[in-house]
Amino acid sequence: MQKDDVAIRVEHVHKSFNVFYDRTNTIKEKVLFWRRGKKEVRQILKDVDLEIKKGEVVGLIGVNGSGKSTLLKLMTKIIYPNKGKVETNGKLTSLLELGAGFHPDFSGRENIYFNASIFGLTRKEIDKRMDKIIEFSELQDFIDNPVRTYSSGMYMRLAFSVAINVDADILLLDEILSVGDQHFQEKCFKKIEDLKQEGKTIVFVTHGMEAVNRFCTRAVWLHQGVVKMDGDTKTVVNQYLVETA
Amino acid sequence: MNIFKEIYNYRELLKSNTQKEVRGRYKHSILGVLWSFLNPLLQLLVYSVIFGALIANGDKTYHIYVCIGLIPWTFFTTTITQGALSIIMNGNIVQKVYFPRAILPISSVISGAINFLISCIIILAFVIFSGLGITPLILLFPVVLLIQCMILLGISFILSAGTVYIRDLEHIVGVILMAAFYATPIVYKLEQLPSNLQIIMKLNPMTYIINAYRDIFYYQQMPDMQHLAILMILSIVLVVVGYCIFKKLQKGFAEQL
Repeated sequence: MQKDDVAIRVEHVHKSFNVFYDRTNTIKEKVLFWRRGKKEVRQILKDVDLEIKKGEVVGLIGVNGSGKSTLLKLMTKIIYPNKGKVETNGKLTSLLELGAGFHPDFSGRENIYFNASIFGLTRKEIDKRMDKIIEFSELQDFIDNPVRTYSSGMYMRLAFSVAINVDADILLLDEILSVGDQHFQEKCFKKIEDLKQEGKTIVFVTHGMEAVNRFCTRAVWLHQGVVKMDGDTKTVVNQYLVETA
Repeated sequence: MNIFKEIYNYRELLKSNTQKEVRGRYKHSILGVLWSFLNPLLQLLVYSVIFGALIANGDKTYHIYVCIGLIPWTFFTTTITQGALSIIMNGNIVQKVYFPRAILPISSVISGAINFLISCIIILAFVIFSGLGITPLILLFPVVLLIQCMILLGISFILSAGTVYIRDLEHIVGVILMAAFYATPIVYKLEQLPSNLQIIMKLNPMTYIINAYRDIFYYQQMPDMQHLAILMILSIVLVVVGYCIFKKLQKGFAEQL
């Protein structure tokens, strides 16, 4: 059934979250305050249908709370849809939050091993990329210091370098194109450009329309949980800017 | 059997997470891994003195008897306690990155087993220096260890996933383990109990595990293979059932945490 040129297929996906007003988590609370466990079901995505082809660079845009990040989380299989199906085809890496799983007491190098292994790399593959990762992060002098001594900029540089060097077929990025200083940002952009040339599929969520215009071959505009517009980057971005301005 | 392939693909994570847990257990302590010996030794001292005076009847090798019960039991309780918390403790990565969640309880069991193997040096030391010696029966040790690991894995699957939804499980488990200590022949012998209490012990799988370890190291006789075979089958069933429950519950982890 799966066509080979499709990287991500989202079929009629519905996702809602239970919003608890006063969450009860223990049996005692559940028994004592059973009436308090009032919840509201908040529908985040409504019947989203999307097909992303291999090699496409897609920008997900929309105002806060429109469901962009939720859609991205569904693609990574961190959460699952209530209805519908999400299929991905190929090795997938996500950068939803930089440095997830970094251990503050471990050195930068040890954290590269751990972080890259979360992305599913083997020891050999990590060793092969180690120099590249360190070089990209420009942390040569600090790589054997514990990560807790890093500044937030160094921390992000390390995390980004790991994720970008995993060599995934599909890369999901959430609002992380604003890492580091001007110089490092430019380097990241260049790297993304390279990945694009290599034919990787990239989906990113951002509010920076400049980046969308620069990289994306396609833009998807989410509004209140539905796809409001989908198509050529310029057209969608222009329309978005007109309507939300 | 997709799960095997997936775990194989993520073997580096399994390895580094296990390493992290083995090292993390005694991190920041001055004596480090030495605690793997000191802990059971000191515990053993307390139990041997108290229960030795109460029930040993002048048995000179009573401390070895207790030792071979206590060390596998410590492996059992620490692994269950750690396994139950394995998802919650790693909540930050579970919410941020996709990886086979089963890696977490599996690595708790493996790291527990590594610590157990280190502690087993105490058993070997006792057996050798007391003159009991080691027999070829030790070849059966990996079999018993495997069964115990599978039982632990099955329980860890269920508890780690369950604790995400009901945090009380952690405390309930603590109480059950405390009671189970006395429902397992660790400090006394099965025959020393009245027959109605013996029934409870006979329903406890850990009784057979510990008996098997004792047969290998202490009594130096062939363990009851029929019991071990039944236990083996039961432990496989437990792992399968445990994993099915885990798989069912894992979809909600990121939202529940």
